[in-house]
Amino acid sequence: MSADHGNPLPSYMKVFYALLVLTVLTVLAAKSLHFPAEWGTPGDILHVAIGIAIAVVKVIAVMYIFMHLKFDHPFLRFFVYVPVFLFLVLGFALNILESWSYTH
Amino acid sequence: MSLALNLSHEPVTKIPNGKLAMWAFLASELMFFSGFFGGFIVLRNTNYEVFAEASNHLNWVLALVNTFILIGSSLTMALAIHNLEHKKNGLYRLFMGLTLLGGFGFLIVKYIEYSAKYADGLFPGQEHHSVFYSFYFIMTGFHAIHVIAGMIPIGYMFFKGFTKAGYPYPSKVETLGLYWHFVDLMWIFIFPALYLLNPSSTGIGH
Repeated sequence: MSADHGNPLPSYMKVFYALLVLTVLTVLAAKSLHFPAEWGTPGDILHVAIGIAIAVVKVIAVMYIFMHLKFDHPFLRFFVYVPVFLFLVLGFALNILESWSYTH
Repeated sequence: MSLALNLSHEPVTKIPNGKLAMWAFLASELMFFSGFFGGFIVLRNTNYEVFAEASNHLNWVLALVNTFILIGSSLTMALAIHNLEHKKNGLYRLFMGLTLLGGFGFLIVKYIEYSAKYADGLFPGQEHHSVFYSFYFIMTGFHAIHVIAGMIPIGYMFFKGFTKAGYPYPSKVETLGLYWHFVDLMWIFIFPALYLLNPSSTGIGH
């Protein structure tokens, strides 16, 4: 509960401004940096990596401050960690198998 | 310490039951969207040109407007919860109303976007449809359904705030807030994945 940890309003506003700035940043990064239009090139990987990195920072801010994960019982964090871990396993497993089947 | 069994929260961690149930539901929602993203990544990597061309065709400016709307309504939801907990009913109504308005705004922008897609023949079964648009419609469509599903209880709690006693359950609004933030959170990933992360992306799209 927000009442248990002092006044949360300043941190809400900080997260809000951070989300706005990071949103603008993600668009600027995607639109101003031009990379070769080929899959799997370092430019493409960097392009995607910047987009994902900014999205992850935004999501952590939303989860920990807006959704109170920072202040609530740590047990609740497992509801995020486990699905994210499973998603990474799913994503990597599918991709490695797919890429392997196309290159071998 | 009372020996009476308190059923309003989980006994060991003292997490309220509603909050625990909502987080378990959100965990299943994360897996639900994981399926879309997993499939999207694989097909993007094997149909790169199709995805790049189609993604460049999307209107990222409208999506950016929707991103700002969702971020704003996430903030107003957090402020609504805060004010209800502090029994400031007027401010609760104001922020809950703004949250609801944000939901409507998002859907209106989505409608404009979908109409343009229909006019361009990009819907499933139309001539210019491609695998990218299957992902586009299913991911943004399911996301929009989540927005609508959230707006129903938000509307209920908003209008209950106008009764004499006001809306009496801050913990329920807090639980709903978790869901609403989750909807915002999924959009944070959908926005770059569909609209931005394509090579040599120039122009505004349609």
